[in-house]
Amino acid sequence: MSFLYDFITRDKKRKPLPPKDRSNLPFARLGFSFKEWHDGHVNKHKWRNRRWAFLIFINLLFIISFAFDLSILEGSLSGSRLIGIYLMDPFNSSQELVIGSRTGYIALLTTNFWIGFFVIMTFYWLLGGRAFCSWVCPYHFFAEMGERVHNYIVKKKKIREKTYDITVKYVFWAGFLLLAFLTKELVFENLNPVGILSRSLIYGPGLALIWVVALLLYEVFGIKRFWCRYVCPIGTTYSFIGDVSPVGVKFELDKCGYCTDCQDVCLVPHELWFVKKGAATKEVHFTGGDCTKCGLCIDICYGEALSFGFKAPSYILGSVEEKKELHPLEVPDKPKKEK
Amino acid sequence: MAPTNTKINRRQFLKASASAVVSLAVVGSAAYYFKDKSSLREKGFLRPPGARAEKDFLFACIKCGLCVQICPVRAIHLADWDDGLSYGTPFINPAVQACDFSCDAIQCAETCPTAAIDFQIFKHAGNEAVEPLYKKYPNGDFPRNLNPFKMQIAAMKRADKMGLAEVPHPDQCLAYHGQGYKGPLGHGNKGKLRPPGSTERIRIEETEVNRKICDLCVIYCPIGEEAIELTEVSDGKFLPKVKDGCVGCGVCQMVCPTTPQAIIVKPLDKEPLFA
Repeated sequence: MSFLYDFITRDKKRKPLPPKDRSNLPFARLGFSFKEWHDGHVNKHKWRNRRWAFLIFINLLFIISFAFDLSILEGSLSGSRLIGIYLMDPFNSSQELVIGSRTGYIALLTTNFWIGFFVIMTFYWLLGGRAFCSWVCPYHFFAEMGERVHNYIVKKKKIREKTYDITVKYVFWAGFLLLAFLTKELVFENLNPVGILSRSLIYGPGLALIWVVALLLYEVFGIKRFWCRYVCPIGTTYSFIGDVSPVGVKFELDKCGYCTDCQDVCLVPHELWFVKKGAATKEVHFTGGDCTKCGLCIDICYGEALSFGFKAPSYILGSVEEKKELHPLEVPDKPKKEK
Repeated sequence: MAPTNTKINRRQFLKASASAVVSLAVVGSAAYYFKDKSSLREKGFLRPPGARAEKDFLFACIKCGLCVQICPVRAIHLADWDDGLSYGTPFINPAVQACDFSCDAIQCAETCPTAAIDFQIFKHAGNEAVEPLYKKYPNGDFPRNLNPFKMQIAAMKRADKMGLAEVPHPDQCLAYHGQGYKGPLGHGNKGKLRPPGSTERIRIEETEVNRKICDLCVIYCPIGEEAIELTEVSDGKFLPKVKDGCVGCGVCQMVCPTTPQAIIVKPLDKEPLFA
């Protein structure tokens, strides 16, 4: 276990690079003060709009496929079929495999199940693991709205912000698998807001929605993003493959002005640990497994220091990058001053 | 990065883990407690054809709803909290919409990715039925009056029993009183059905029938006389007699015009193999 933890935090454990001089910061190179540079940026919410559109589109596709009997995207987020190709929810499948290994049922699972399991794993490995959360998961959509409300309430000082150790999600992940093993039932599926919401959207609302609403209310008035951050084992499963995924949000230290605005909008701020002054241990960083690839940080970055990028295989394995791989210092083409 | 206080981190982690373990234990014991509390029988709901024994079914079903989508008559629904079945698992309410086998190939079973609804039994039964035919006519040049596909389908729908029809209270049955029936099929419920021998589906509430002695359960049975027959119990009194061939599809209950229905289907359970 500690090996795994060391692997996940491999970049964080390294010696940080010395912070840049003020004269080396991107706004200084352009001859602006920080305020001028910062205020000149217009956030067009490019990735956020694309992401919301995609999320609504996918869930709408589920709904219309059932409503109009089209064979486009049938089933629900627990298991579906995209034009004949099966896709299985990774944690649901994991539970099924755990129970199957205990009872011997594993031999009876159909080829379609295995295809669905491997297709979804490969697909999300290629696209960055928890990309599922922010680009597909309907619960995330409502939780993201809830987070805004929560932030507003915190700002108004009606409630106090509480945070917990995010590693507790590994305990939940292992715990739910253990429960499946012990009780021989897909225990998590009874609580899974993703599945409940997806089924409610497609097959009509049911009483189980009460649980989802209760969770949302708890996230708004209690602990921020309680379910997504600390519990959801689906997200944890995706975060395992996301950590070794070839894509991620790329951070280039050269272009960073140390404003940490990205961390303020980030849905998983611990993944952007390297944007703080003097925190980065490499010239180029990629976000880790918990990053949902939502693009909020990319939208808000004034210096374009953050972007979607491809990791080199050596980066994934955690090797120390050579000097020659360093990003040449680039100055954005246009000064962002004019609106 | 700035040095972090590992002691505080560890304490925080242990605290959070402890609450995680406690909540998991609560959830687990609740799941274990409610696991066998399925009231499938009391509510008269059926599992789809080919469903495994209830205990096996509960973990085998992944609750995706693909069977719901494939069913052409929309007979299958997913259980909600108040349906008395494990949440999210598929069921058929034969009083409203029964499985009339009009998909011809038990598609809910074929589509199930985890084989919670087992297609193999249907496949074997179908293959077994046409095997001698293909041996006799290896090139596929069957005589005109022989349709191997129909024989295959006929064998497939007989391969598994979802339940068993019964007439619990004979005095509710119109035929028992020697009465006929004139009016729409069903008991005010909406449903779709493909009558035996027909190629088109009908809407039962729009189908007017006129029988001298009510025998709707018999004439609409997709299996036929090996499953149900109208028998004269005494002078002028008839009752449907359920035979061994009944697979418990529930069509008889769906079309029965009395309220409550005189003929109902009771779900059957198999021996669990894995649980």
